[in-house]
Amino acid sequence: MTPVIEASGLVKTFGTARALDGLDLDVAPGEVHGFLGPNGAGKSTTIRVLLGLLRADGGSVRLLGGDPWRDAVALHRRLAYVPGDVTLWPGVTGGEAIDLLGRLQGGVDPARRAELLERFDLDPRKRARTYSKGNRQKVALVAALASDAELFVLDEPTSGLDPLMEAVFQEEVRALRAQGRTVLLSSHVLAEAENLCDRLTIVRRGRTVQSGTLAGMRHLTRTSVTVETDRPVHGLAQLPGVHDLRTDGGRSHMDVDTDALDDVVRLLAGCGVRSLVSAPPTLEELFLRHYGDELAADGIPALAVR
Amino acid sequence: MRAPRTTLSGTGPLVRFALRRDRVRLPVWIGVGAGLVATQSVSSQALYDSPQDLAAYAASVGANAATIALSGPPVGLVTVAGAVAFEISSFVVVLTALMAAATTGRHTRADEEAGRAELVRAARVGRHAPLAAAVLVAAAACLAMALAIGTAATATGLPADGSFLLGASVGAAGLVFTGVTAVAVQVAASARAAQGAVAAVLGAAFVLRALGDVQGSWPVWTSPIGWAQATHPYSGNRVLPLALCLVATGVLLAVAVALLDRRDLGSGLLAARPGPASAPWSLRSPLGLAVRLHRGAFAGWTAGLALLGVALGGLAGSVETLFGDNPEARAFLPDAASVVDAYLATALSMAALLSGAYAASAVLRARAEEAAGRAEPVLATATGRVAWLGGHAAVALVGATLLLLVAGAAVGAVRALATGEPAELGRLLGATGAYLPAVWVLAGLAVALSGLLPRPAAALAWAAVAYVTVTTFFAASLDWPGWVDAASPLAWTPLVPVDDAAAAPLAVLTAVAAALLGAGLAGFRHRDLVAG
Ligand SMILES: Nc1ncnc2c1ncn2[C@@H]1O[C@H](COP(=O)(O)OP(=O)(O)OP(=O)(O)O)[C@@H](O)[C@H]1O
Ligand SMILES: [Mg+2]
Repeated sequence: MTPVIEASGLVKTFGTARALDGLDLDVAPGEVHGFLGPNGAGKSTTIRVLLGLLRADGGSVRLLGGDPWRDAVALHRRLAYVPGDVTLWPGVTGGEAIDLLGRLQGGVDPARRAELLERFDLDPRKRARTYSKGNRQKVALVAALASDAELFVLDEPTSGLDPLMEAVFQEEVRALRAQGRTVLLSSHVLAEAENLCDRLTIVRRGRTVQSGTLAGMRHLTRTSVTVETDRPVHGLAQLPGVHDLRTDGGRSHMDVDTDALDDVVRLLAGCGVRSLVSAPPTLEELFLRHYGDELAADGIPALAVR
Repeated sequence: MRAPRTTLSGTGPLVRFALRRDRVRLPVWIGVGAGLVATQSVSSQALYDSPQDLAAYAASVGANAATIALSGPPVGLVTVAGAVAFEISSFVVVLTALMAAATTGRHTRADEEAGRAELVRAARVGRHAPLAAAVLVAAAACLAMALAIGTAATATGLPADGSFLLGASVGAAGLVFTGVTAVAVQVAASARAAQGAVAAVLGAAFVLRALGDVQGSWPVWTSPIGWAQATHPYSGNRVLPLALCLVATGVLLAVAVALLDRRDLGSGLLAARPGPASAPWSLRSPLGLAVRLHRGAFAGWTAGLALLGVALGGLAGSVETLFGDNPEARAFLPDAASVVDAYLATALSMAALLSGAYAASAVLRARAEEAAGRAEPVLATATGRVAWLGGHAAVALVGATLLLLVAGAAVGAVRALATGEPAELGRLLGATGAYLPAVWVLAGLAVALSGLLPRPAAALAWAAVAYVTVTTFFAASLDWPGWVDAASPLAWTPLVPVDDAAAAPLAVLTAVAAALLGAGLAGFRHRDLVAG
């Protein structure tokens, strides 16, 4: 199957600032793809290039099999977009904005619209200037979700939502995936990405630093292991792949490379294990590790990674 | 040290911050005002260097109701200094009023709508501090304008007392409009609506003053512009009318504070009511959206131009009377009919300029939409670039065309009634058509700038409107060389009904407008979206 989004080596400069510096992004049909990175990493810029709102200075990009700059109008019929910073027309009501954007995109299903207004608890009769940030976000979300698009491009769609609405949003995204639609989701809410995404791309300073499934990313990193044993464990420190070992009486804590886990468990087995906690790194830890490197590169002490 | 917590605490830092934000804008406004006065002073002194020249000038001005309507009371024309004040004061008064209104609005409601005021108010800043700071900054700008004008006039050789009185009159009118804006921003439902209300008050003040001056009667005293000019710099040197301005300002500010205590941050007293839950059928295309966004402003402009047309048409009668009463004028000018037609051509040029200003503002609305990030969600739908910008351009072109025709029809209808000749309506409506291509050029230029040079587009488009205005009304009186107005579309427009409508220049102007439009649309198709 051809990828829905296929970008490689994207470059975009604004004056002297290089917002994208060889960014790669591949999104397969039917997947929910997380797009993560610190502030200013280039996520929104990438999305604007994908939408043909900006023209890339270098690299190649295909969207739904077309050229996002040349075929913008035709491609936009097949996608829905929620901007990161939703600004609406001050005197236009939320309901009017939803209808307008929906019609421009190719039509709104009234039943679906009503259902979404209900689920997101949004009053469509208010003028946009009186909406709160979260409610403006909901207007854009309802307009996008009410459409019959193949691809949903969501730039931090939940940044203003309360936890209840966040849960509704996650259900809606799962429903989209169940229908076989593709979602590109940029987010700073790592739990959200962890819950929803099949694959992830982490970017930093306009470059892709890691891409793949969460499981695959975990595989490349260390699992933290805490163990209590009856007898002291000898030889742990000498095992290749064991890092940051701390022993405190009968209790040991260490980070273990994924392919060394087997050896560690074998060694522990002879020492009378009383309790064993093994936690794969959370997305947050993966993310902080990359972000921490960046801070370190800037001469700022890395954040303590749990 | 902890500042006392009053409703005014924090005003000082806000004033400094506002002055910092306006450190380019305010000097530009003031520089333009003082520059206009200095230029007028120098060129009038060169032009009327003999008593005969001055007498001829005074006679011809006294006979021209259009000039009086545009400028003010024809007093003090016995000295060159008086002539300078007559020629320039109404322009700098309007300029200063616009400066005061823009400054006051910018630091009150516009900030609230952008959410900046919330940040500020959350810091230790009193409830009245933002308004107080905005008013102080606007008042300081008016004072600076007054001093700059006084200095410019004195430096170019005019008597100091009259010069600083002229400056003070202009500044005092600015203060009144600071007060008007302070009230409008409390009442109106949005910052845009507030600016619209202030523009309406300014327009009404101008029309009342013009009516009063032409008829030499009381309506002058209902207008802050009339008060400012009632000081008669260089002739009467009266200071009492300034007190009128100050009292009015004080009353308006008191009203503004009282209203401020009764409204919430970010909304006006005229609260926005809930609207429709779903969009009307018409809101389904980029053009439909553009029509929706422009309709409010268009309605305001239509009302304004219709009124102006009625006023200008009515004044044509006074032109005939003045001409008949003035034997000296008859020596300088040809027959009465052509004097009236000359006046009507000036009136139609004025309406054309205002329609051109509307066209520029309507096109620039598209650019403002883009800058505010509201173009992005629309262009991410199946809406093409050309359809989107074209929608705004179409509204601007059709709207400006209708505006000018409304103004022309109003002038024509009033003339038809006054003369009892129904054919006047058709004749003047036809004459209005000759000014349309010039208006289209201004619209096309704004489209070209928005498409090709998005960031400076607004500044350049308004500079173009200002250039056409200044060259239309000043090139002759300032005795500028002929090439100065060569780039103005109005300079190429045959001044119907004095001149005959010539097809060739109109066709060329229309072609230029179309080329500019095409260039703008093509430019927009090929560039990045530019936010901010
Ligand atoms: N129009 C522009 N002009 C100049 N610089 C820009 C422009 N748009 C983006 N940038 C810069 O490009 C870089 C990437 O910005 P971008 O908005 O894509 O980041 P982001 O990953 O979306 O960040 P966030 O998580 O904060 O939304 C930033 O350094 C930003 O300052
Ligand atoms: Mg972003």
